[in-house]
This record gives sequence, structure tokens and C-alpha cells, in this order.
Amino acid sequence: MIKGSCLCGAVAFELTPPLRPVYACHCTQCRKTSGYFWAATSIPDEALALIRQNGLRWFQSSETTKRGFCGKCGSSLFWVPEGEGRTVVAAGAIDTPTDLQTKAHVFIADKGNYYEIADGLPQCAGFKGDEDA
Amino acid sequence: MLKGSCLCGDIRFETAAKPQGASMCHCSQCRKQSGGIWSSAYVKDTELTITGSVSWYEASPQAKRGSCPRCGSFLFWKAHDEDTTSFALGAVDGATGMKIEKHIFTASKGDFYEIADGVPQKD
Repeated sequence: MIKGSCLCGAVAFELTPPLRPVYACHCTQCRKTSGYFWAATSIPDEALALIRQNGLRWFQSSETTKRGFCGKCGSSLFWVPEGEGRTVVAAGAIDTPTDLQTKAHVFIADKGNYYEIADGLPQCAGFKGDEDA
Repeated sequence: MLKGSCLCGDIRFETAAKPQGASMCHCSQCRKQSGGIWSSAYVKDTELTITGSVSWYEASPQAKRGSCPRCGSFLFWKAHDEDTTSFALGAVDGATGMKIEKHIFTASKGDFYEIADGVPQKD
């Protein structure tokens, strides 16, 4: 069982492996919420158990997606593409060691101009989805 | 004038000053809150105008962290004994005119990524 939480602990969760590799998303929405890029894994909804959720708040970020965060400490935790039966979970919220690896950078067409990506990982202009990865 | 906003737009900020210390923070607090790494720069408090109701959280007695209560964007970091406020570079609208100068708290970095951009690192 893999555990995670927000910064203050008002949201805590457990994940049942396997976890998808991490994708680093550089889209404008992820940059606005995270402050940089947003690194996240993905898991089927049935493999995600919320242990504490008194701090959990949702923001409808588009017609078909919503973002979950902690209303007490402001941690960016979840992104849900509605109807897909999965939740995308912030890698940074997972307790270390995560044993996760970043697989690619996505939506780099939207990336900020103040940093460079130099880790040799694939860079994708968008993201077609790779849930079997 | 440099301007920024959260994802939903409830909180906006602007400064006419030249921001200092563009950095990426890898500490465990920033990792938990941002989801990975938090990039920011700072200006004097008196040179930063914030509009909207920021939700502040003290993860330690030394500093507070500001986010948007509606969309959860992590926007600000403010040490109590300093006269500056750091703002998220990801929240800046348009070109920032900055380049990252350093990675900080790299000893605490997450295990799911590598730092490979050649920018100086500090533990």
C-alpha cells in the first residue's frame, strides 16, 4: 500500500499499486495551479482510497475535468477526467520513497519561458494518453 | 509591469519591481503542496500588489504559504522575518523575463525526477 497526503494532512489517501509512470505536465492550467509543472501518476478509482478528506475541495477546471486540492493548505492533489474511471494523483503528494519514474514531459507547447527541460526524457507537444504504460 | 493570477482568476498580483532569486524549490513542503517542484521569485512586500482573498497556511512557525481558496493554486510564500514575498512563476501571465538561477533544497528532492539543466544546486 502506498500512502500520500497534502502538506497539512487534512487530505490523506492510499493507493493500491501498480501506479502509472509520472508525466510532467507543462500546460497552462497545471503551471497555474502548481507554480511550475505538475508531475503526476494515474490510478483506477477503485485503487484510490481516501483516508481523510475533510480538507478536500474540487474546482471544475473545464467542462470535463476537475482538480482536487486541500482547502486548508492549498496542496494540488488530484486531476479527474470525468467518465474515465481514474484519478490522476500528484507525485509530490505521495510519501517518499515513491519509487516512481518520470516517463515524459507533456504539453510542452505551453511550457514557461524561464526554465529548460534537459533531462533527456521525451517531450510531447500535447498528450494522447498512455494509460497502459 | 509583471502580472500573474491563479487558475480561476480570483486572485491576481502585479509588481513593477524587478523580481529577484528565480529558483526552483525541492523541499518536502513545496513538493507536497505543488505536486513536484515550486518555482518562484520574490519582490519587496511593498512592491507587490495582491487582489483577492488569499488563503494562508503556516507549515512552520517561520513562514506562511498562500493559495487560492477556490481553485487551489499555490501562489505565494512569505517568511515572517523578511520584507519580501515569493510568488509562483507558473502563475505569471505571459513571459516572465526571468531565468531560473538556482535549485534549492535539492537534498530533499523527490525520487521521481532528475535535475539535469545545469543550473546551480544548493542543498
